[in-house]
Amino acid sequence: MEVASWVQVILPHRLTATLPRWLARGEVLTSMLPAIPLSLALLVVFALGGVVVLVLLSLLTQRAIVSLITNRAQRRQTALAPRVYQVLSPGASRAPVDDLLALGRFDRAVLRRLLLGLALDLRGEAAAALCGLYRDIGLLRGDIARLRSWRAADRAAAAADLGVIRDPAALPALLEGLRDRDSLVRQTAVWAVGEVGDRASLRKLVPLLGDSGARVARCAEEVLAFRGREVEETVLAYARDTTSQGGRRAAIDLLGWLRVSAAADFLLSSFEDPDAEIRVKSVKAAAAIGDPRFLEPFHDRLADDRWEVRCQAAKGLSVLGSPASVPWLETALRDSQWWVRFYAAAALAEIGERGEAALAAALEDPEPRVSGMARYLLERGAAVPALP
Amino acid sequence: MSWRVAVAGLGQAYGAFILSYLLAVNSYYLLLMVAGFLRTRRALREIFRPDQRRLMRSPITPPISLLAPAFNEEANVAENVRSLLMLDYPLFEVILINDGSRDRTLDIVIRQFGLRPSARSFEYAVPCRTIRGVYESPTYPNLVVVDKENGGKADALNAGLNLAWYPLFCAIDADSVLEPDALLRLVRPFVEAPLETVAAGGIIRVANGCDIRAGRVRQVQLARRLLPLMQIVEYLRAFLFGRMGWSAGNSLLVISGAFGLFDKRVVVSVGGYATDTVGEDMELVVRIHRYLRDRGRRYRIGFVPDPICWTEVPETRRVLRRQRTRWQRGLIDTLWRHRALIGNPRYGAVGLLAMPGFLAFELLGPIVEFSGYVLLPLLWLAGVLSVQYALAFLLLAVLYAALVSSVAVLLEDISFRRYPRVRDLGLLVLAAVIENLGYRQLTTWWRVRAVWEFARGDHSWGVMERRGVGAR
Repeated sequence: MEVASWVQVILPHRLTATLPRWLARGEVLTSMLPAIPLSLALLVVFALGGVVVLVLLSLLTQRAIVSLITNRAQRRQTALAPRVYQVLSPGASRAPVDDLLALGRFDRAVLRRLLLGLALDLRGEAAAALCGLYRDIGLLRGDIARLRSWRAADRAAAAADLGVIRDPAALPALLEGLRDRDSLVRQTAVWAVGEVGDRASLRKLVPLLGDSGARVARCAEEVLAFRGREVEETVLAYARDTTSQGGRRAAIDLLGWLRVSAAADFLLSSFEDPDAEIRVKSVKAAAAIGDPRFLEPFHDRLADDRWEVRCQAAKGLSVLGSPASVPWLETALRDSQWWVRFYAAAALAEIGERGEAALAAALEDPEPRVSGMARYLLERGAAVPALP
Repeated sequence: MSWRVAVAGLGQAYGAFILSYLLAVNSYYLLLMVAGFLRTRRALREIFRPDQRRLMRSPITPPISLLAPAFNEEANVAENVRSLLMLDYPLFEVILINDGSRDRTLDIVIRQFGLRPSARSFEYAVPCRTIRGVYESPTYPNLVVVDKENGGKADALNAGLNLAWYPLFCAIDADSVLEPDALLRLVRPFVEAPLETVAAGGIIRVANGCDIRAGRVRQVQLARRLLPLMQIVEYLRAFLFGRMGWSAGNSLLVISGAFGLFDKRVVVSVGGYATDTVGEDMELVVRIHRYLRDRGRRYRIGFVPDPICWTEVPETRRVLRRQRTRWQRGLIDTLWRHRALIGNPRYGAVGLLAMPGFLAFELLGPIVEFSGYVLLPLLWLAGVLSVQYALAFLLLAVLYAALVSSVAVLLEDISFRRYPRVRDLGLLVLAAVIENLGYRQLTTWWRVRAVWEFARGDHSWGVMERRGVGAR
């Protein structure tokens, strides 16, 4: 077969109209591959090889520069550390720090790193002395100024440093940082306010539970989980009044973590919320609070259509430990969901004689999932893991 | 018109195609790496100093089940479990899954940790081979050992998934070494965006050559043998910055089976790990993308640049060949199973960028490159291609690739500086250049062979011979 006909067989119709003509005229060689001069090819090879060498050289150069700086910083830190320890030592009078004030730029940076490293671990009198030193040598002023930098990364770093130093003098600037347009800055400012803040400033964190930036909201939740006891009435009011569903969920979580007994009525009213997440969190918070008023509502929640709610209700019943719950828990032991059965069995193990009798009876249950769970709980005892 | 003219025309066209392809593939790696580097820098900036302490004591740090499948790991299993139990994390459990080992793996852990048979109740939420027994220890309340029939790594992970108590699970290799705070760092995306994050991958580094004692990396050093050294550069280029680059567009397709954190509920919803593929880690991630995008759910699959998992890489050609062919077969299998995603705008960046990218550069790349190594010299000998074209091919295949590897080493040194000794850096630089003179061609050939093996229906795993990372 002629090449042209062969090409017509294997190539799409549109190409066969032109390609055989090219082939017939022997034009493929020139039309498809323009000639490359050898010198140009060699030039490109050398150019690319040069770039490789350049990359390798820049690698070695940056490593050398970094090593030089690191070594110098280490030497200076060794020289500065005794003086810093002298200032921070317990009972040391506030002697003038003129020598530290007179340090050059590099030494100040080294000193700053040293103080920030120490601040992470120091508490009490030594921490207060460190704060004083940081302020006296002007580093605090520098950080506050950096909080107004045009670069978000600088603002966030400044907020983090101020949180580490924990100087109350930085609070006004950090509270401003809570309104920053960048979510990383807001997040870091939230954390820092949690480290430094008083009751009034902690209150300002509560509305951030509903912040548009997810990580800001999470950070506020985390900070308030530690320090929220001081502002629990504000958290409760926020949970009641907010229009942000995310904020409300977070506030309900907090009410549970902080075991705010004053929230019982509010939580009871949320047990039948149409939002399943709110129901889960309300029942979970109620389980943590363990108010006896929750007993009947917990029984009702064992019939919720969401397994997470049933599970939390069973867990709540284990906290209350009422023998009146045994029949409800026996039913829950047959739930289709593993976790509900697990916490129902755990609750029975917590209830005492009646509960243990119910578990012992469940050992004989014809359903393996019921008897298996009962056997496990009886073997394991009360060591029940944290609930997801 | 003669046959010679036609063959010459086709040969030259193919030569031009290979040159353009190599230019594209290396530029793709370079761009991906630069994107990964920028993302890494940003991620590292966002981690503020007290982060680890904060997460360690936070009530909102979610508990994690660590799943560690083990098959014939008697040499290191006790030490590895001990190092896992010592991780810094507020609440976690270690589930060691003995996947029907034929050696003394199970006996050793039972004896070393005082394990007793447990009636721990579980459900087969995802399918797996029969679980023969569950063991728990009164001394180590967060250790669970599962003994099951042999079914492969994916099957073992499914068994662990069925036993896991916590909402997040971390799949790791039983012989990998995690840095003490690796979990704290890996969990960050889940803490910051708990509703969106469904999975997060972490960095895998090469443990060969490092000083490892009692399950901890005491000193980071380079491997002394050539093959592991080449793999270090490869891991930097492809896994560190490559994956970071994909994660920037929420289109990461691979989270290594040696170290990945997942939302258990999502993984159970998609049916767990696929047991009929050798690339179960990639397949799972692609299936998660597909499942969530089909349902229009907002989600995020993250990649965290700083958590470190150290793993032993093959030191012999035979074992490396098995590993690479298995990886390639896994890739082909995943792309084939999920071919509906390729080029499909419904799947966003995954369908339009990541899947076509993997198809064009990871699957077809080795074939095109290998055909270049074989055909271009022949065409040149036959007088069809000029020396300029042969040189250009060499340039793109070797020099451009060396540039990409060197940039990877440079970016690693700027971002992490995990190899502080100057001698190690020099060796890495050397490896970045010479890996393109033999090693790359060898792995290309193995990947081409994998295509043939896949076509023949070979689904074997092969055996990883380990010297034991904790034993040195």
